[in-house]
Amino acid sequence: MPRGDLAPKISLAGVGKAFVTRDRAVEALQPIDLTILDHEFVALVGPSGCGKSTILNLIAGLLQPSGGVVSYDGVAVSELNRQVGYMTQKDTLLPWRTAADNIRIALELKCRAVPRAEAAARVAQMIDLVGLTGFERHYPAELSGGMRKRVALARTLIYEPETLLMDEPFGALDAQLKLLMLDQLQELTRQRRMTVVFVTHDLGEAITLADRVVVFSARPGRIRTIRSVDLPRPRDVFRIRFTEDFSHLHESLWDELKDEVARGTDV
Amino acid sequence: MSHSHVMAGLDPAILARTAVLARFLSTTTGRVLARLILALILLATWEYQPSADLRFWMSGPVEIVARLWSWILDGLLWDNVGATLLAMALGYTIGTAAGIALGLLFGLMPRLYRVLSPYIAALYAMPKIALAPLFVIVFGIGIQSKVALVAITVFFLVLNSTLDGVRNVDRDLTRALALMGATRLEVIAKVLVPATLPWIFTGMRIAVRYAFTNTLLAELIASNSGIGFMIEYYSGVFDATGTYAAILVLVIMSVGLTELLTQVEARMSHGN
Repeated sequence: MPRGDLAPKISLAGVGKAFVTRDRAVEALQPIDLTILDHEFVALVGPSGCGKSTILNLIAGLLQPSGGVVSYDGVAVSELNRQVGYMTQKDTLLPWRTAADNIRIALELKCRAVPRAEAAARVAQMIDLVGLTGFERHYPAELSGGMRKRVALARTLIYEPETLLMDEPFGALDAQLKLLMLDQLQELTRQRRMTVVFVTHDLGEAITLADRVVVFSARPGRIRTIRSVDLPRPRDVFRIRFTEDFSHLHESLWDELKDEVARGTDV
Repeated sequence: MSHSHVMAGLDPAILARTAVLARFLSTTTGRVLARLILALILLATWEYQPSADLRFWMSGPVEIVARLWSWILDGLLWDNVGATLLAMALGYTIGTAAGIALGLLFGLMPRLYRVLSPYIAALYAMPKIALAPLFVIVFGIGIQSKVALVAITVFFLVLNSTLDGVRNVDRDLTRALALMGATRLEVIAKVLVPATLPWIFTGMRIAVRYAFTNTLLAELIASNSGIGFMIEYYSGVFDATGTYAAILVLVIMSVGLTELLTQVEARMSHGN
């Protein structure tokens, strides 16, 4: 069940997206309906190229739908949606800034100017949170892919946006570190009551974190099934995967997903 | 093995002496000594060549250095070196400032740039030296015409590299910052300018040499001061000694400038 309040935060009504390349229109996303509630954690899973990232881009206002309406807080998203923090698949760190300076950047903006000392304290806290102590003064080029992801995560979390859009944020991390990050993410988003839309291809990750898991079909993407995850919170991300409820969910969702993955990889 | 085989036909004594020489030349002292000997031979040939005709066209090292010394004593040298450097510095500064400003402006207003781009491309492609006579008519033979030629040359170089830089800024970076709530000005200050800086520096670095060459060309074509003017003046009155002395000054200035640039570049690449 979605946590508490049932007010819709984000709604996609008949939203489809086609990209025109040369003279051919490629349908990335077939018209879908999806409502995400306030403070809800929704995971989108599906084979690559099923339009999961497109949905995030639509919610962020980076793309406009070919049909249908994307609304946020009941208002149609027609330009950049500044209510969301978007952690894209590609990390968009500024190469001339150190890890700490990259993490701090949102706090330097006029719209939420934070005193220097406070900003420094929050940056230090974030660096500790994502386990980058000792790498504060490294430039992105000097960090591994996984470390850059963590810098990007810290940079998004530090300004506590009310909604987090995350596109495979932990893809480049090793298994142990990934679990640690999942734990931190659960803790933070619960504490700050964030709404989260989380794109992943890792079903286990989706079940561990989400209130609802949305399974997409292969291209052109459409929703195959939506499943509520009724596991109690807070969840022990390290052990939950060994519980019976988890296995059942995983199994039945995997049945839905595996045909799509097989189809998706054919293309 | 094959080495000794190939050399087998040679006298071993000569071989041994060649090896000693090669070893000597690979030491610093050896190299410097070899250079000095080479210079002495060339200078001596130049100084003591017997033809009076050739002497008229080529002068001689002693005379040239004496002339240079007299210029140092009477201040002529400093006046003209100063005039060249001043024109170059002024033109370079004006051209760089205008190039950066317009490059950023066009980068931010792509539609305006698209309208103007054929003209800019045409002006960029044109050898700016062709404008020198025009500048002389408009600005006279004083410093202004030199500054104008240098400024316009530097301007287009810096403009183009700034534009390249702005166009190469990763749009994902600017969008990421805009999503965080950055204003247009903040996106410019925090992403666009820092991302473009390396391109601007590259343009500025290349422009230094162009500025120097064009100052000199402007002086050679028509002017009343500077090293280029001295070369032009002394060759005009068939004074080979004066011409070579001025060229010698030019060589020293070029080497100095190149050395300075190398130092700056080394420091800059170190800082990154």
